[in-house]
Amino acid sequence: MSHDPDDLFAPEVIADPYGYFGHLRETDPLHWNARSELWIVTRYEDLVWLVRHHELFSSAVIKSDQRPPYPPIDAEDRGLFDEVRHFRSDQLVEQDRPAHTTMREAVHEYFTPTAMESWRPFVRAAVAELLDEVAPQGRMDVLQALAAPLPVRIITHMMGVPSEDRDHLRALADKLLYINRGESYRMKPLMEGIGAMMAYVEPKVGQRVLAPENDFISVLAAAEKDGVFTRHQVLVNTALLLFAGHETTMNLICNGTLALVRHPEQWARLTADPAGTVRVATEEILRYDPPVKSTQRIAATDVERHGKQIKQGDRIRWIMAAANRDPRVFEHPDRFDVSRSPNPHVSFGSGIHYCLGATLARVEGQEVFRALAERFPDLRLDTDRLEYQPSIQFRSLKSLPVAWG
Amino acid sequence: MSRALRTTVDHGRCVGNAQCVNLAPGMFRHNENVQSEVYDPAGAPEAVVLKAARFCPTSAIRVEDAATGEVLFPQP
Repeated sequence: MSHDPDDLFAPEVIADPYGYFGHLRETDPLHWNARSELWIVTRYEDLVWLVRHHELFSSAVIKSDQRPPYPPIDAEDRGLFDEVRHFRSDQLVEQDRPAHTTMREAVHEYFTPTAMESWRPFVRAAVAELLDEVAPQGRMDVLQALAAPLPVRIITHMMGVPSEDRDHLRALADKLLYINRGESYRMKPLMEGIGAMMAYVEPKVGQRVLAPENDFISVLAAAEKDGVFTRHQVLVNTALLLFAGHETTMNLICNGTLALVRHPEQWARLTADPAGTVRVATEEILRYDPPVKSTQRIAATDVERHGKQIKQGDRIRWIMAAANRDPRVFEHPDRFDVSRSPNPHVSFGSGIHYCLGATLARVEGQEVFRALAERFPDLRLDTDRLEYQPSIQFRSLKSLPVAWG
Repeated sequence: MSRALRTTVDHGRCVGNAQCVNLAPGMFRHNENVQSEVYDPAGAPEAVVLKAARFCPTSAIRVEDAATGEVLFPQP
């Protein structure tokens, strides 16, 4: 056991965030974490209020926070940290109004539900191809065989990069996963990934400015032409697409598969009618064990809540994993119920920064869980040891061995 | 003469992403929960209303022909 109850990276908090943050939700809904110098918000109503009031809580978290990163990084990496900050400050997710409105407008149309729904056949084919490869083996690590390669295929297709570059991009994506992890050396692989990603994308942006194609880099290149994005912002946001879509989708697939195999009666409901149940089931998967546990804002002004004073410049982490299990909103919140409806989970956030890729994530999750239910109805867990990455933000399994047949 | 529309926002789905408010400020505004509501049903041209509905990331907006009840968005 860790001795400091505010240690957010303690092994028991990483293993079971629901117990730790659920306790805070019921006993101290606006908790000051002295160790990391930040507020922790865990109740559903508070979280929605906070995220929808973008005028009170700024998204420029990296840009405006001058405090050292938490947990600490290696002393010799301070220079790298400044480079990472420069990079991340130009991400769409770091922008406040008015800049955010114009930038989101430039990319939003590409990601509308109607547009993303048209990708379903492509996603379905990619899932089938990956499962064909492992089907004869009778077992797989869901992470390596399915959850990691699938989003890379989708995103490289979206970026219009040739399939022979997929392995290179997956290697870069693996380095970008060090964002918001706990290892003290994380700045090195992270900056390597960022540098290589920008070097890879730069010539492609140049080409798309001159000769647009039907891909996402062309959308960004057009926005650069219109003066909405600088070249640095185009490069940064292309990289954002890679890591925002990669780790989150990986976690959705792994966490969902784990929830399903651990609840045989729920899995039976899915396998009985995969096509008819998978949409509602995917929402419950998103609620029950969300890909992103928490994220952050910075107070833009002094605000009072629950009788406490949040000061301008204070860091605030809001815990979707806790809000999704708030008994004030969800009946039997700790119960995994694939027919739960309505299901107003906050796994994609809320407000003006609501996840741009939400529909694509849903389509990918639905196609994966449907295919698993159709092809491997006797799917089962093939390990008694599960470990999670030491991240405050992401709920990421290190591996997920399953078997069938 | 443009036809009259019946446009509704499902507050079980709306997350206050503000695409509709940005695209058609003469028609949509946010309430005290920062969820969208229609305050002037004729406050934007039909093409803009349909674009606002299409841009909604949670598909919370439904648009009908007020006279016939024909559903214009979401398309079947």
